[in-house]
Amino acid sequence: MTKLKLIFNQTLMIASAILFGLGVQEAVDYLITGDAYLRWQWFIPLSIILCAFVCSVPSIIFMDDISTGRTFKLKVVLHFLCIFAAVSLFATLFGWYEKLSEYLIIAGMIFIIYGFTWAATFWLAKKDEEKINEALDDMRDEE
Amino acid sequence: MKVVLEKINNPEDEGALIKALEVTEEIRSAMELLENNRRSISVTDKETMDYGEVMMLGTDLIYYAESVDKKTFVYTKEKCFETRHRLYELEEILSSNFFRCSKSLIINIRKIKTVKSELNGRMIAELLNGEQIVISRNYVKDLKRKLGV
Repeated sequence: MTKLKLIFNQTLMIASAILFGLGVQEAVDYLITGDAYLRWQWFIPLSIILCAFVCSVPSIIFMDDISTGRTFKLKVVLHFLCIFAAVSLFATLFGWYEKLSEYLIIAGMIFIIYGFTWAATFWLAKKDEEKINEALDDMRDEE
Repeated sequence: MKVVLEKINNPEDEGALIKALEVTEEIRSAMELLENNRRSISVTDKETMDYGEVMMLGTDLIYYAESVDKKTFVYTKEKCFETRHRLYELEEILSSNFFRCSKSLIINIRKIKTVKSELNGRMIAELLNGEQIVISRNYVKDLKRKLGV
């Protein structure tokens, strides 16, 4: 059940991240050209959801809480490569891009969003750490 | 909650009466405080010659309890004892200050000096005796809930 929940949450998060990336891309397009329209073929939204689902699977495989140090770093690299490969595959199969420059934008987005996600995770973990330590200060035994 | 203090002359008559709809965590904590944390469990000393002799150990002295190969061990500041209780039984017996931090460990929150988060989602708790215990990612939420953060 925990794994299903993780897959569901990850699918939602990744789908949102892809839509966010597309949204930013279109906004930039609009600011530059003053005229931007996003017209999708019928299968594109479904392909985004499917891609997000496929991208959530590596999290189950690699993201445990046992690995530390070099093993953990190696797993993060493998996790990133799997996600990168999955998005690239879906982008190619479902025609998310037409030119190489558009693919490079997608690649850059994957990198930025992945880095941002880890930065946010680290920040939230540190916040939790602070709150827990403050709460512990009030109830700690004296030895 | 309304608190009434009645002064008495005889120390033997000292006592507290709590009127409550149900036994909440707060009330349980108050009861333990009033009972001076006198709850205890039966253990055997692993390290002395008297191994096998049962003694009572105050739960306030316990740092953490661990299940290894179907045996349960409880750790105090410096010593390790074995107990016949299963870990899930200890969870029920021990006070609300204890919480499960992994599949095989329960830990006394009052004995945690500090916690440190790791990128993989788990936390490392440093205890007052310097020992370090891993709090699994799945149980960090329980700790936060328990501490009300």
